[in-house]
Amino acid sequence: MNPSTLDIAELREVFLAATEPNAARALALTASLVLVVVVLWLVRRRGLREEYTPIWMGVALALVVVSIRLDWLHVVARIIGAWTLSSVIFFLGEVFLVAVCLNYAVRLSQAGVQIKNLAQEVALLRTRMDSLDDG
Amino acid sequence: MTQILIIPAFNEADRIATVLERVAAADTGCQVVVIDDGSADDTGVIARRRGATVLRHPFNLGYGAALQTGYKYALENGADLVVQMDADGQHNPEAIRSLMAAIQNDRFDLVVGSRFLEMTDYQMGLLRGLGRRLFSGLARLAGLQISDPTSGFQALNRRVLEVYAGDFFPHDYPDVDVLVAAYRSGLRVGEIPVQMSEGTRASMLHGGFRSIYYVYKMTLSLWSTPTRVARKGTDSEDPTP
Repeated sequence: MNPSTLDIAELREVFLAATEPNAARALALTASLVLVVVVLWLVRRRGLREEYTPIWMGVALALVVVSIRLDWLHVVARIIGAWTLSSVIFFLGEVFLVAVCLNYAVRLSQAGVQIKNLAQEVALLRTRMDSLDDG
Repeated sequence: MTQILIIPAFNEADRIATVLERVAAADTGCQVVVIDDGSADDTGVIARRRGATVLRHPFNLGYGAALQTGYKYALENGADLVVQMDADGQHNPEAIRSLMAAIQNDRFDLVVGSRFLEMTDYQMGLLRGLGRRLFSGLARLAGLQISDPTSGFQALNRRVLEVYAGDFFPHDYPDVDVLVAAYRSGLRVGEIPVQMSEGTRASMLHGGFRSIYYVYKMTLSLWSTPTRVARKGTDSEDPTP
């Protein structure tokens, strides 16, 4: 291929065919390992409840899979029209973060209703106690 | 018939005594319940000293949550009729009997005291006037004719209390959205004319970001709240054949 005669589609193929350095794979594997260790450490210190761990273990597993099978990312890159694998990773990361934020917003809404109900119950019980004391 | 007057109050130490004096002078026959929504001042202490039953939130929950605490108290204490009014002196206690009468003679399940049903000297700014027209129009689309959708001066019976004690009830601004929810639940919602003076609670429509948020939130809530109430009704049905 002569770079001076490449069209856009061919140029994109050049980007996608670029070999990923082993350092990137090693970094992804290390990151996944660190994530697993941090999650387990937080669970042990009661900083994170077990019910919240599957999502982060899933992220660690996905990092391992991606670092081993980078070719799977090529498939996603072609689907979403990305030029580089790093763009794919950023895209998937953003989708994941939006989903996580939405999930926590839902949980926060539910917790808000529960807190309100508890505070109302406290107010009602306190008044009942006061009336018993007065009586 | 057990009748309860609920007054949500947040940092109203300067005004609550006058409001309770005017309520006492109106001789409504209601038990007066002040919901102190986590005030930093002596609102609750003053209200108690004036003979009101005080429900004190451990922290500020919002106007809607304070009202709902009053509804829950009324339900627990077997109330058949509840009147709600604001603690800032905007609502005239002289009108409480008219509101109660509209419920007692079984004309309505929920009656709103309206500033606009008859000609009054109440002045509403441009922005708030536009907001009122917008929400009246949206309520009309839902089938409910209401001239004063932001009025917190209302009376309601036990059927409404049972609906309003649900988790759908908003923490912050329960206005036209809950009226539409009540109407869509099959409750009879009506209005009677009342006189009001300028208050502070309606300041959501006075301008700034809060006004924009209020219009946004209320429009979204008008769509979602009746749906939630309807779903709750469906969910609570006995599934056994």
